[in-house]
Amino acid sequence: MSSIPEYMTAKHRECDEFFSEAEAAVVDKNWPLALAKWQVFARELTEHLAQEEEILFPQFEQATGMTAGPTQVMRMEHQQMRALVQSLDNALAANEKDEYLGLSETLMVMMQQHNMKEEMMLYPMMAQHLSDGEQLIEGFKASAVV
Amino acid sequence: MSGLSFNALPPIDLPFRFFLTAPLFIIACALLVLFSGEPLWLSRWQPNMLALTHGFTLGFLTMVMMGALLQLLPVIGGIGIAKPRLIATTSHVLYCAGVITLMLSFVLAHHWLTLAALVLLSLGFGLYLSAIIRVLIKKFSQGDSINGFRLAIISLVILLLLGVLLLANRLGITVPFMTLDKQLTDIHALMGLVGWAGMLIIAVSFQVIPMFHVAPSMPKYIRHYLGVSIFILLIVYIFYAEFALGMIFISHAVFAFTLFYVINQRKRKVPDTSIKYWQLAAATLLLLNLLYFLPNSFYASQGLPLFLSLPDKSMLLTSIFIYFYLLSIVQGMLLKILPFLSYTHLQQRCLIDFSAMQFIPHMHQFLNKKHGLALYYLHILTGLSLVAVLFDPSLYRIFALLLLTEFCWLLLLMVRCMRLYFAVSQKINLSNNP
Repeated sequence: MSSIPEYMTAKHRECDEFFSEAEAAVVDKNWPLALAKWQVFARELTEHLAQEEEILFPQFEQATGMTAGPTQVMRMEHQQMRALVQSLDNALAANEKDEYLGLSETLMVMMQQHNMKEEMMLYPMMAQHLSDGEQLIEGFKASAVV
Repeated sequence: MSGLSFNALPPIDLPFRFFLTAPLFIIACALLVLFSGEPLWLSRWQPNMLALTHGFTLGFLTMVMMGALLQLLPVIGGIGIAKPRLIATTSHVLYCAGVITLMLSFVLAHHWLTLAALVLLSLGFGLYLSAIIRVLIKKFSQGDSINGFRLAIISLVILLLLGVLLLANRLGITVPFMTLDKQLTDIHALMGLVGWAGMLIIAVSFQVIPMFHVAPSMPKYIRHYLGVSIFILLIVYIFYAEFALGMIFISHAVFAFTLFYVINQRKRKVPDTSIKYWQLAAATLLLLNLLYFLPNSFYASQGLPLFLSLPDKSMLLTSIFIYFYLLSIVQGMLLKILPFLSYTHLQQRCLIDFSAMQFIPHMHQFLNKKHGLALYYLHILTGLSLVAVLFDPSLYRIFALLLLTEFCWLLLLMVRCMRLYFAVSQKINLSNNP
């Protein structure tokens, strides 16, 4: 059984890897490979954000009574990441290498800052406040798409 | 729940003003080189050479690092300094005035300039450091980088105290318990170059290389022990200079190999100028080891059938360390930090007004990749011309002009980035208040 910080942090690293593979393929202008890798990344990211927004954040808010605090900021940042993912989709569809790389550098920086806040503060706090954290993670594993 | 400060970023103009003023000091240095002529290169004790080294180390390196720390503490540790605008603005003004008067006091050797430098630098540093130290004594969840910052700040305090003693000595004030000799100056210099600047770079590397390049973390024993070992060696240096210095070089070789290993293992292989700077810096550390451990007879050029005489060993090593190691990393970091800060600050404003996201340019629009790469090549060229001047001082004009070009270019890149930031910021304002 893994804890919330362990599992969710490992997911961040996994997303980083798919992201880097897509980016490397764009550098080589290997568009079909880039698209394939990008789609895996986008799917993983969507699932990860949904797990947070639909399950972990509400549980945390309920357990702590903090509804306007860190989870709210995280939700807003998720919205911004989705917007960047949309722009990257477009750049990829149009095979625009420079545009893609400028946007991917941006998303990378945003994700890393975002992840750091979650990994250093939010996940440890969740582990502290959610007594059924490990069961929740087991549930995520059972319904995993990849 | 305290310590949860997701948005502890200081206003962007605070780090920016440190960054913007830094290249101006090197531009001043370039002019100093141009007008000092060949005698400047005779020894490190030349008054103009002292002005030059302090222009590089205080005017540029420390200036950028002071600005970067304002920003890095909230990002890495989650806590920023208290009253950032008051502290940063006041200490920046005092510090700039302090470095200018210090450089002038070396060149002009006026009593009152030395006194002014002493007072201004003490006040500027005192204010800045007391604010930073108040943050660093707090408990952090993330240890290794913060511990490195702590050691770097301790080194800075030691080097400043020695600097104050040395300046006071120029004013005729002496202390009974210490003799101010060459060794004390060496400790002062080493604390600055290795303890302060070098330690900060090592601490920052733990964080930024894995984060921005999807690379593995540095090995645990490196993160835990490298900084402390170097700091202990700096203390040992006071008693056993030669032994400690050798070990300090070896420690940096270990760091260089670790850098190469981690960079090589990175998942994100997209071409990146900051990575090139890190690689250049690591290669420099290995070259410095080679140059340091060459037998001293090698530097006694009379015995060698060479067509030109070899420069003073310590001048050669120090110049390469500053130019190809410290300056390389700082420039590589600036290429990341400038667009990163610009973007992050604008993005934070769009948390409330999501529709304004459309106005924010991406990272490469803040700092064009080709422009960053041009800076890198200019940097190598200028560094090589510096080494050439050490061999043949008559080449000083070439070095001065290249130095001028490189840092005017850096300044231009900064100004472009900031102009774009303020233009977009204005657009967001307008969209908020139609």
